[in-house]
Amino acid sequence: MRKQNLTRTAAIAILMLSSAALFGQTATGVINGTLINKNGITLVFDSDAAGVALGNSGTSAASVNFGNISAFGALSAGVTRPSVTAANFTVQTIFDVNVTQGGLASASYTLTANLAAPAPTGFTYKVDAVTLTTVAQTIQANGAYGTDVAHNLGLVVLTAAPGAGGPAVGSPITATINFTATAN
Amino acid sequence: MKKVLILAIAAAIVMLMPSFVSAQTASGTLTVTATVQGSIGLVFNSDAAGVALTGSGTNAATLAFGNVSAFGALSAGVTRPSVTATNFTVSSAVDVQVTKTNSASANYTLKAQLGAADAVNTWAVGGVAVTSAAQSTLTATGTYAANSNFPVAITIPFTTASGTAISNTINYTATAN
Repeated sequence: MRKQNLTRTAAIAILMLSSAALFGQTATGVINGTLINKNGITLVFDSDAAGVALGNSGTSAASVNFGNISAFGALSAGVTRPSVTAANFTVQTIFDVNVTQGGLASASYTLTANLAAPAPTGFTYKVDAVTLTTVAQTIQANGAYGTDVAHNLGLVVLTAAPGAGGPAVGSPITATINFTATAN
Repeated sequence: MKKVLILAIAAAIVMLMPSFVSAQTASGTLTVTATVQGSIGLVFNSDAAGVALTGSGTNAATLAFGNVSAFGALSAGVTRPSVTATNFTVSSAVDVQVTKTNSASANYTLKAQLGAADAVNTWAVGGVAVTSAAQSTLTATGTYAANSNFPVAITIPFTTASGTAISNTINYTATAN
């Protein structure tokens, strides 16, 4: 009799445990998330259809390679030569600047540019009509947000021979231009 | 208590002000690379003593002698250096200017060649006979950035019918020495 009771009790316990296992385990919680909308502006360079295809187009750290340039020889696609004088020649390409703003009431931006280091011998760099130096200068005072704004990048190269005031020949010459857009 | 409240408000204003005063900026860098190559260019210029060229100052000019004859009047700038028993020669001064850039070259060699064969007339540039068969060297020591006169001359036989148009192209090549 005692053995039967023990067996019955054990069977009931197994049933109770198995029924608990059949129900899905659940847990609940609440996360209180807070979002702070920070205003700001961003600047990226985009390739222009009429210019040289930029390296890293669509970013804020792009590159433009004019390839081989000369006063009279063939130029790469997207590079033009608007002037050749006895003293110098100019090669030019077009690139786009796209500045986006969020959370600001700013209607436009001011774009400035400067050379990161003094220009290499025989070279002068221009953005639009502005001759660049290591000091930031205004390129555009009323840039429109959210659209590609085309700018001309010009290289004025002295025609003098290397060692006579002209640039080094036959090897790539690199310069970095820093651009800053400031919300108006 | 009121003073404390005013001070607190003032402090809050001062703390908030910089975020309004400082302008929002964004920056980017553009790396620019170019490789300079030495080059030379050639243009034709009208010579004061010769025919005024069409396209003077370019590398694709046109020299029009106009009506030419052994004894008749010639256009301005056209001379007639010789008339023989069988032909006559007309000539015009033409300046060639070669410019060098980013180069230490001391001088240049200039060659010329007719674009098409001419079995009737004889052509010369700078006193050197020019044909379509091969380039003729006009000078081996050309001076850069100076107008050098290389007269273009055509010798025409008397057998040529009156009213015959004579036309050809002379291709010039300057090579840096």
